Formats: sequence, C-alpha cells, structure tokens
Amino acid sequence: MQHDQIIWEVINNQFCSFKSKIERERTFCRNPYNVTGLCLRSSCPLANSRYATIREDGGRIHLYLKTVERAHTPKDMWEKIRLSRDYGKAMKQLDEHLAYFPKFLVHRNKQRMTKIHQYLIRMRKLALKVKPKLVGVHKKIERREDRREEKAVKAAKLEESIEKELLERLKNGSYGDIYNFPETSFEKALEGVEGEKDIEEEQRELEEMEEEEEELIEFVEDFEESDDESEKDVEEYYGDETKGLVGTSSSESDSDSDDEIDSTTHSKKPSNDDDEEEITKKQPRKKKPKKKRPKVQIEYEMEEENEGQHEIMPAW
Amino acid sequence: MSAAARPLCSVFSTSGDKTTDVALPAVLTAPLRPDVVQFVHTNINKNHRQAYAVQMKAGHQTSATSWGTGRAVSRIPRVGGGGTQRSGQAAFGNMCRSGRMFAPTKTWRRWHRKVNTTQKQFAVASALAAAAVPALVMARGHKIDQVPEVPLVVGGDVETLSKASKAKALLEKIGAFDDVEKSANSKKLRTGKGKMRNRRYVMRKGPLVVYSTNDGIEQGFRNFPGVELANVDRLNLLQLAPGGHMGRFVIYTQAAFEKLDTIYGATGKSIPVAEMANADLARIINSDEVQAVVNPAKSAPKKYLRKKNAIKSIKALEKLSPYQVAARKSETKAQESRKTKKSMKKTKKRGIGKEFYEKMSTQGDVCEDGF
Repeated sequence: MQHDQIIWEVINNQFCSFKSKIERERTFCRNPYNVTGLCLRSSCPLANSRYATIREDGGRIHLYLKTVERAHTPKDMWEKIRLSRDYGKAMKQLDEHLAYFPKFLVHRNKQRMTKIHQYLIRMRKLALKVKPKLVGVHKKIERREDRREEKAVKAAKLEESIEKELLERLKNGSYGDIYNFPETSFEKALEGVEGEKDIEEEQRELEEMEEEEEELIEFVEDFEESDDESEKDVEEYYGDETKGLVGTSSSESDSDSDDEIDSTTHSKKPSNDDDEEEITKKQPRKKKPKKKRPKVQIEYEMEEENEGQHEIMPAW
Repeated sequence: MSAAARPLCSVFSTSGDKTTDVALPAVLTAPLRPDVVQFVHTNINKNHRQAYAVQMKAGHQTSATSWGTGRAVSRIPRVGGGGTQRSGQAAFGNMCRSGRMFAPTKTWRRWHRKVNTTQKQFAVASALAAAAVPALVMARGHKIDQVPEVPLVVGGDVETLSKASKAKALLEKIGAFDDVEKSANSKKLRTGKGKMRNRRYVMRKGPLVVYSTNDGIEQGFRNFPGVELANVDRLNLLQLAPGGHMGRFVIYTQAAFEKLDTIYGATGKSIPVAEMANADLARIINSDEVQAVVNPAKSAPKKYLRKKNAIKSIKALEKLSPYQVAARKSETKAQESRKTKKSMKKTKKRGIGKEFYEKMSTQGDVCEDGF
C-alpha cells in the first residue's frame, strides 16, 4: 500500500515497459493482467497491490486475484479461480469473490467478463460456418517465383522432350500397330530430328523405305502411290504402277543387301516416283531440321492421301 | 515503514528449494527516489568517456592571407603562392574547403562529472531498494513471472559454482532463466556507426548476480548473455539502474545479502532517510484522525450562465412569471381549437350547400323530356 503511489509515480513519469502510446492521446498497457487495457492509476496491475482481472484461456474464464500478502512472490502472486461457464452463475461468483474490492475494479471485471462471454459466443458461431482460410500474398515472393517459373519452362524445352519421348516410344514399338507408319520412315524422321544425316542419305533411305513399304503393308504402298497421284496425271499414275511393280521385285531381292546398292538400283526405275516423292519429301524435309512440326504435318498428309486412295483402291 | 519489524526473506538452495529465512537488510527499505537515481546516473555515466578531438593544427597549416578589397573576390584569406590548384583557394574559415571546423573540439573538454559521495550512496541505496520491489523490476522489463520471491537470495555454495552448466541449472530452478533467455533473444546489430566502432551488438540486460567472495562464481555465471556480476562491496549504480531506470533484477548470494546490513548500517554507509515516513497521501487524508479535525468540504462557487432574455426565451419567462407562460399556452390551445372548429363548420356547410345544389340541378323523372 505504501509503495503503490511511489510505484505509480515511477511508472508513469519514468519508464514502464508495458506502456504503449499507439494513439496520440491514449496510453495503453500491454500487461496481460490489466483489466481495462489502458495505462491508468486505478487499472495498473503493478501499481495496485490489491487487484483483480478476468482472463480467458481456451474457452474457460478465470478470475485472477492479487493481494498485498503475496506482492513479493511473483510466482504465486495471482490466485486463479475458475468461473462457471454459465454467465449468471459466473456473475454471482464475481460478486462473491470481489465483495470487498473497490467498486471500480468490480465494475470493470464484470464488464470484461461480459465482453469475453460475448466474443466466445461469436467464436462458436463462426466456427460453425466454413470460412475460407486467408493466406497472405507475398508480393516479392510471388514475383520471384513467377520469374523463375518462366525461366524453368524455357529451360525445360517441353516440346523437344515430348517429341523425343513420342518418337522413342514409336521406336520401341510400344504403340504397336495403332499407328500405321512405316518403321523406316519414322526412323528417318527420328534421325531427321537429330539432324545427323545428309540429304542424299535421306534420299537413299527414302528409296529403301519405299521398298520395304511395298513389302510390309499395302497401305504403305498405296501411300506412296497416292503421293504420285496427287502430283501426276492419272495416265502417268498407271504407268508408274508398272514401274513400281518392277521396282518391287527388284526391291525384294535387294532389300537384304546393303542400302547403297538398293538405292542405286532403285534410283533408275522408280526414280520418277522417288524423285517426285523425294522432291515432295525433300522440300518439307529441308524444313524439318529447321522446324519440327512440319514432320508431323507430312505424316498427316500421307494419311489423308491414304484415305483418298481407299476410295479408289476398291477398283483393284 | 517501521524499521523495527523487518520482514523475512527466504533463502533458496542451489536446487531451488527454500531453506532458511534472513531478515531484510535496512537498505532495501530506503526511499525510492527516481529523480536522484536519474541525476546521479547521467553524471556517473560520463565518467568512463574517452576524449576525442580534432587535430590542433587542422585547417591552420597554411600561410593564407586575405587579398583585401578591390580584387573582385570575397575577403576570406586565400592561399598564396602559385603553380598549384591550391593557390588562391580560400582557407581558414569553417565555411571553406579544407578549412578549420567551427569551434574545433578540444581534449580539455570537461568529460567527467563530480558527484557528491553522499548523493552517490543515496542513489545506490535507492536503486537497491527499488530492486526489491517486484513491480518496478517488472516495469523495467525483466521477466520475473516465475521467480519465487523478490529479493531473490540463493544460499549454500553458490559462490563456488564455477561450472556454467550448473549455474544454468540453478538459474532455471529459481525461475531466473526466462530473463536470460529474453536477453539472448534480443541480440541485434546496433543501429548506426557504433557497429564499426567495436560496439557491434546490442542486447537487453539480464539479471545481476551480487556475491560476497568470488570462489568461482564469476566463472560460472559470466558467460550467460545479459548476466552481470558484482561484488557487494563495490556496487555500481550503472549496473543497478541501467539507463537511469530503477529496478534491475538482482540475484543475491546469502553471504552478500547478509553483508548488506554491515555495509549499510550504523558503522558503514548511511542509509538515506525518507522525507515522509508514510508517503501514502491518499490514505493519510482519508484516515479517521485527519477527517475528524478537518473542516467540512466547501461547495464550489455558483456558476453563472449567460442571462437569457425573457421576451425571447419561454424558459426564462417561466422563471419570472409562470402565469404568463400558462396563459400563453392556454391561449394557443384555444386558438387551435377555434381554428379546427371553424374549418369543420365551413366544410360541413359547404358540403351541404354543394349537395343541395347538385340535387336541385338534376333533372327529375317527371321533367325528363324537358317539360
């Protein structure tokens, strides 16, 4: 009691670590045991040796009492009394415990308890509603991550890797007979992707492809012939057919032999066809190493031609 | 606060349990004088300063003379000679480049301050007393919520505790480690140039351990962040009231605590006497002894508000002549009733007249054809 006034004078005029002036003309008290939250002589838990507060912990409200007798033992300074959950009963408990306390304190404690009850009710109501959890956006971090994403996308070279993956799968034959593409032509396509071989080599390979195509799949043959059709007259087409037939026999015999020999023999006979095809294929092929997409286009074109040919073929 | 009945202080063992009681030394009941402490602190704080000054000759090591008037330049002394950029440049003034500064700092500045010995003793006693008030220690910012008692006295063989691990265990048992942790967490780079002047880090102050004889206690406690050690015989105000603010968290050893009574006592240093034995003014004024003799309280003088004109304000008129106000009210009421009655009469009559006229003007059954 004797100290209180002096303590208050020291706290108010000198220094108190709990004092904070957030607003211009109002001093707040950051002490967790303060009833009002304001820095006032009557509500300072340090400057009043007899004090009472209400505090809420995990939904349970407790009354904290401080008396002179325990003022020198900080560990046991506050007597913690648990109040009933029921508002009315809690009020009566307050009246009972704070019977001989100054009226100011009693009033403030009751006010505080009321407020706490109210906000607890509100909290329970809110808990029933599903509220989206708000997460702060770090502008700096977001910008940084976006930039890195862009760079990563560029560095990943997705299209390249997808193409490689697909071609590899075709190589392996994992697609089986789903797509009816000549193996050689696709190998060449793969090689074309890599851009290793020369154009001449490509030509030879093309010739070989044609031969093998004739052997393996009918579609393939028609394929090539369809190419011819699109470019030449019908007469020429039929003429070419004969040539093509001759070519097939030779191709069969030569298929086992080296590619070069085959290419030379074939170069004479189905040269026209090959040339045309080669031309047609060359031109787009030249584009191939530059752009990867045209390859795909070529394939599609062949398919279309196939379809067209289907209509004509039944006559055979 | 009577000195006769002095309260007892618990002594804790190194394991954190209470062992015995010691009587509170008289110093700890000294008057709390924040003004004295602040004054003494600000002055004593200047005593460990090191002199700084500019070079004595700085800015004067030229033979510059003023060119005088008539040369279309200002009259400031200029460097003579030639052949260098410096020639003709202004010198000596505080406004000149490479000139001497205004009022060059001197080493013989009065760096230290003399404080009366009694004042210094007073301040230390006051600071010690303040350290015994838990409210002030908490207000200063120390975390003493888990401390069993203030002032905190540790007995046994604390003074031989030379291992930091054991010291830490002790601090934790007596609830003082929170303050040490707070200090450790507060370590930050100093703002400003002090960083590069060997004052790189700043941290809060932790507990002050006061001992009587150093049998190893210095070694045990010195490495903790924020913890400071002091011998009872040589208590430092700068440690007891850092920043001029009373209420440092002090941990005494039993020997030191008991020694305080001999240091500050009849034979030793004098303990300051309070101006008032009982400083609680409110209690004194409201006590029975005083109230019995005091005159009854006077009421405040009447407050005269501005005089209101009775012609304009009905309330002022009411104070002077309530009859007038009543008469006016009744008159206004009567007027209103008259008005309403008249208007009702009018409408009624008009209504009748109109009806009658309309009735009359309608053609009857007999005269349908017009005759």
